Amino acid sequence: MSEQQPTLRLEDVTKRYGEFTAVGSLSLTVRPGRIFGLLGPNGAGKTTTIRMIVGITRPDEGRLELFGRPVTPESQNRIGYLPEERGLYKRMRVADQLKFFAELKGFTGRAADGALDRWFEKVKLSDWKRKKASELSKGMQQKIQFVAAVLHDPDLLILDEPFSGLDPVNVELLKDLVLELKEAGKTIIFSTHQMEVAERICDDICLINRSRKVLSGSIREVKSGFGRNSVALRYEGGEGVLEDETLVASVERHSDDLEALLAPGADAQELLGRLLAAGARVSRFELVEPSLHDIFIEKVSGGE
Amino acid sequence: MTPLTKFRAVVKREYVQRVRSRMFVIVTVGAPLMFALFTVVPILIAGIKTGGPTRVAVVDESGRMYARVRDSLTNAQASRDEDDDEEEVPKAAQGTMNQNSRARMEQMTKAAAQSYQVEEVPAGGLGLGELKAQLDERVRRDELDAYLVLPRDVLAGGETEFYTRNVSDVFTRGQVRNALVRAVRDARLDERGVGPDVMRAVNQPVRLKASKAGGGGEADRGQGFFLVFGAGFLIYLTILMYGQVVLGAVIEEKETRIAEILFSSIRPFTLMTGKLVGVSLVALTQFAIWGLAFVGLGAYLAAGGASIAIPQVPPSVYAYVVLFFLMGYFIYATLYALVGSMVTTSQEGGQLAMPIIMLLVVGFYLAFPVIRSPNSSFAVWVSLVPFFAPITMLIRIVSQEPPLWQILLSLCIGFATVAALLWLAGRVYRVGMLMYGKRATIPEMLKWVRQP
Repeated sequence: MSEQQPTLRLEDVTKRYGEFTAVGSLSLTVRPGRIFGLLGPNGAGKTTTIRMIVGITRPDEGRLELFGRPVTPESQNRIGYLPEERGLYKRMRVADQLKFFAELKGFTGRAADGALDRWFEKVKLSDWKRKKASELSKGMQQKIQFVAAVLHDPDLLILDEPFSGLDPVNVELLKDLVLELKEAGKTIIFSTHQMEVAERICDDICLINRSRKVLSGSIREVKSGFGRNSVALRYEGGEGVLEDETLVASVERHSDDLEALLAPGADAQELLGRLLAAGARVSRFELVEPSLHDIFIEKVSGGE
Repeated sequence: MTPLTKFRAVVKREYVQRVRSRMFVIVTVGAPLMFALFTVVPILIAGIKTGGPTRVAVVDESGRMYARVRDSLTNAQASRDEDDDEEEVPKAAQGTMNQNSRARMEQMTKAAAQSYQVEEVPAGGLGLGELKAQLDERVRRDELDAYLVLPRDVLAGGETEFYTRNVSDVFTRGQVRNALVRAVRDARLDERGVGPDVMRAVNQPVRLKASKAGGGGEADRGQGFFLVFGAGFLIYLTILMYGQVVLGAVIEEKETRIAEILFSSIRPFTLMTGKLVGVSLVALTQFAIWGLAFVGLGAYLAAGGASIAIPQVPPSVYAYVVLFFLMGYFIYATLYALVGSMVTTSQEGGQLAMPIIMLLVVGFYLAFPVIRSPNSSFAVWVSLVPFFAPITMLIRIVSQEPPLWQILLSLCIGFATVAALLWLAGRVYRVGMLMYGKRATIPEMLKWVRQP
């Protein structure tokens, strides 16, 4: 993996607006063929970071490399971008404006027409090609905007809150399309503050808060590195084991089971052994990973 | 993919979308109709004469004025033409410039010229009071519209009385007064033994032919001026019509929130320039349609025997008119684009665009001092200021041609201004886009412009 050239590399990138630092010495690497989650609360600097990647603004400091080179108009053409603030020309036919967007990426002619038909098919809007954007529902418009980002077959696709406001059926549809693109070897940067979605589709993540990177790595690394282990338990007997503070930090009781947060350095295996030794009948014993949501909440509010 | 191809894509989209729109068709067909409506209808309406000729009774206490007053009233039109000793307006000018307010006023008065039915009311031994009571009664019964009472000393300046049902009808009152003035003047002259021959000789119109000194005595009938005023008027009209369109076009991507998608593909300057050029081509198309229709109509009329005069000016003047027209159009259009780049909604844009119209109007009025002294230092300076140059420099060119370097300098400054404004607008546009929903203050904008 390491000999492969990263799709995107940021090195100590800083962007300021007057006194306000939107992004502070951010470094990250996006590997090809992966889905990279750029996560963080509102106003963390996600959009500013993306704007620098797509070439709308330039970093004040630091290096930014796309496909191994500095950002140029050529590299812009290899990017597909679905911004959070997005719209369509209201009185223009859907197919016409998609062609226009593709033309601005240098993608024209028969190839463009073919791709257009395929994508209309994929998002199930073939009957709407010749309609004006104002005649489409909000969900349909959002799918069209998605097509605008992918039509020219970009190598790097950047999606900023792509699912906000969509119904579950369309969320699934777009999610499958994104995974399909990943299968085809495309790199995808996915920006969101919805952790549930990120957890399901991202390979790697970078969490930023207040313009700074809080943590990064593959989902696996992030979770195991979070150093928080809890066990979901249901048992009878075995009194007193959970009171041992060297083993269990806290206990949260639910209706018919409980969740024990292990003390730092404690081993779940030992807890199970102690319970069995104390004669407990264990009907459930499950190691619970922290969700991205938990990590997000703890990291973001921990910084307060 | 060079920026040029992206630029072309923007121009094409802008042009095709606008020319295809229903609005374009409506304006292209509707505007000339409206224009025709506004020039023809007032004349027609003013000419509507309800209820046939105006019936006027005359009580002639002097006993010898009735015939003259009657002739003067019934021949109002003929005697007016004879009286006409105004400066002769060139035929071409009458043709091209009948928006001119005096010409229009005249047309309206002519249209309002009405026929009169005049009758004499013999005193018949009645006192004036009784007579007036009788006439009042006839006016009330709608047998009469008005009556005149000529006093015994009417020739010596006695006051004539005019009683009418409708005192606010200024046209009738004016015509009656004019008729009376002519009748009394003729009678006075007659009294002193001045015959009709002398009168006709006195009323002979005076002609003035203005020629350029040293120009071989050839008459300049002011055609150059009409051409220039025509061009000025056209700049004014074009900006009024298309300034708002440019403004709307620049705001469009912000209002629809497409800007951010586009800016990941194209530079703001390229987008802005492309939109400006696209809208301008739409304007050109519209004007071409109107121009062809106008020429076609002219050819049709000429075939029907009407004479159409084309202003006889040197070809270089036509070239300058085209150049300065383009320069003027683009200066003001980029000003609108700049305003568009500063605001987020079209309503805001409309308010902020007001000063542009002011600038345009000032430029138009500066034409008058420049006509009077086209080579004064004031005129030279004014014709170098890009916002005023299009009209004022053209005026100088047709009056006393300024040195070539001044013309070229004016053009250079003008087109450099266009480029600078475009650059500035692109700058403001790029940064302004990044902040939705909030209008930037001037200091903020200055900061944006200086940003890399």
